[in-house]
Amino acid sequence: MDTPFIKIEHCTFAYTDDEGVENVVLRDLNLEIERGSLVAILGHNGSGKSTLAKLLNLILTPQSGRIVVDGLELTDPDLTEDQLFENRRSVGMVFQNPDNQLVATIVEEDIAFGPENLGIEPAEIRRRVDEALATVGMTEFRRHSPHQLSGGQKQRVAIAGIIAMMPKCIIFDESTAMLDPAGRREVMDTILRLNRELGITILHITHYMNEAALCDRVVVINEGEIELDGKPGEVFTHVAQLERIGLDVPQTAELLHELSLSGVKTREGKPLPLDRLSVDECADEIMKLFGENHDGD
Amino acid sequence: MTEIELKNVSYVYSPDTPFCKTALDDVSLTIHGGVITGLMGHTGSGKSTLVQLLNGLNKPTSGQVLVGGEDIWADPKEIRKFRFKVGLVFQYPEYQLFEETVRRDIAYGPTNMGLDEAEIDRRVSESAKFCGLSPALLEKSPFDLSGGQKRRVAIAGIMAMEPEVLVLDEPAAGLDPQGREEILGGIRSYQRQRGTTVIIVSHSMEDMARYSDEIIVMSHAKLYMQGTTAEVFDRAEELTNVGLSVPQITELMNTLRERGLPVPHGIYTVEDARRELLRLLKGGKNA
Repeated sequence: MDTPFIKIEHCTFAYTDDEGVENVVLRDLNLEIERGSLVAILGHNGSGKSTLAKLLNLILTPQSGRIVVDGLELTDPDLTEDQLFENRRSVGMVFQNPDNQLVATIVEEDIAFGPENLGIEPAEIRRRVDEALATVGMTEFRRHSPHQLSGGQKQRVAIAGIIAMMPKCIIFDESTAMLDPAGRREVMDTILRLNRELGITILHITHYMNEAALCDRVVVINEGEIELDGKPGEVFTHVAQLERIGLDVPQTAELLHELSLSGVKTREGKPLPLDRLSVDECADEIMKLFGENHDGD
Repeated sequence: MTEIELKNVSYVYSPDTPFCKTALDDVSLTIHGGVITGLMGHTGSGKSTLVQLLNGLNKPTSGQVLVGGEDIWADPKEIRKFRFKVGLVFQYPEYQLFEETVRRDIAYGPTNMGLDEAEIDRRVSESAKFCGLSPALLEKSPFDLSGGQKRRVAIAGIMAMEPEVLVLDEPAAGLDPQGREEILGGIRSYQRQRGTTVIIVSHSMEDMARYSDEIIVMSHAKLYMQGTTAEVFDRAEELTNVGLSVPQITELMNTLRERGLPVPHGIYTVEDARRELLRLLKGGKNA
């Protein structure tokens, strides 16, 4: 068995506000993330999702517990600068606001910014920038100025900037929140490709349940603890529990849940399956309810 | 119920420079009074430029903006009047809070309008209530609140000015589902009780479906589509062509129709879908 890429053991993180009151954000959290997996992290605002993300490259340090990323123990008090540097290179982050992440005036220079800072030689930088541009489908915009791009395009440039540092893992912290539907699709397609084709381990923090439905695994965080953890199909059957903690489910899952509550059963008299998340799977299930009598109507 | 009309409105940023950009190109439309109109469009389609014309924050390069039948630029010295008539809530308005207490922040607008104290108090309590802010919260510093609460304080501040038209640019952006519900639900009950004309800009098709009565779609600086929520979401392909989409439930209904199930057009909420499917099931053998 492969060791997990990320291992979080008994982590507690709290901050103290101006009045000296301690607020616990993460409470004795345990989580393992498999190498090469695509995991959605869900939770209401303030549930601890972003804090969790910031622990993974030591932007924040936990008060207690142990964090190991790619074999390196970040909570080791003897962690060296070089080791931390290596961690920051191998775990990239893409944030919410596309306008806050781009630094250069030309797209390809922006992508070169990371590798330049790593001291990589120019020929190699050129190669990485070209490859990163191709990976996110932005090659034709390489000479453009970032402010001329749409939100989705800007986020793809930000992603390319991370890819050029050849990370093993990328954390997307609500990177689709500010985008229009086309922009969200572009970024989500890119995320899927990075994971499937390059094998990059991905944590995707989002409020869009349809995006979570496309991931391998969904982890739901509530009040600093893990509330649910499983395949999207399993997690999204807990409709009432998710609603209670301020989340919702894809509309397909909600509809099947509602029909079930209204007493609808399969033609065999069994409970309706609630884990048909994609439009096609859900349509299959509904068509079955009608059996033959509507075929070819 | 104040209606808004745009007549052949164009807006050009930095005209006569190399950076010249047409953000609105000969747009004519009517925003009906007393309903919630959703305004959607891809990034850079001209939505935000459009809303900034409605209270005279920007002046159209050409064309007219009419609020309640009056051309707002007929006498430029009178433009202040329209700033009170049309309340504009910007994107991420929580960054604009500045007062020592929530109460004083909400009272800022009405105070500037020169209202007496009793009236200001009434308006602060009323709009706080619409935004789900408890009386205890009113005495706190706005900087001690959560992101969602801060956003609601900022919206309450505009509501307290009791504008005839309330315009909100992405009021629920970045919030979790419950936070969205609190904000948009509050705006809707405010609109239903007061009959205000409300315009909401959003990228969320699901939110638009739940909360708008009518929808305007912008694309590439032009008006692309306008109609009731059902009419607009019935044109899935045209929406996808301009970088938008329909709610997942509408997509599901379209798929079922393609497969031969006689589901009606214009279904865009889970509740309606449930009702229709139950009706069809009762009619069939499964009942």
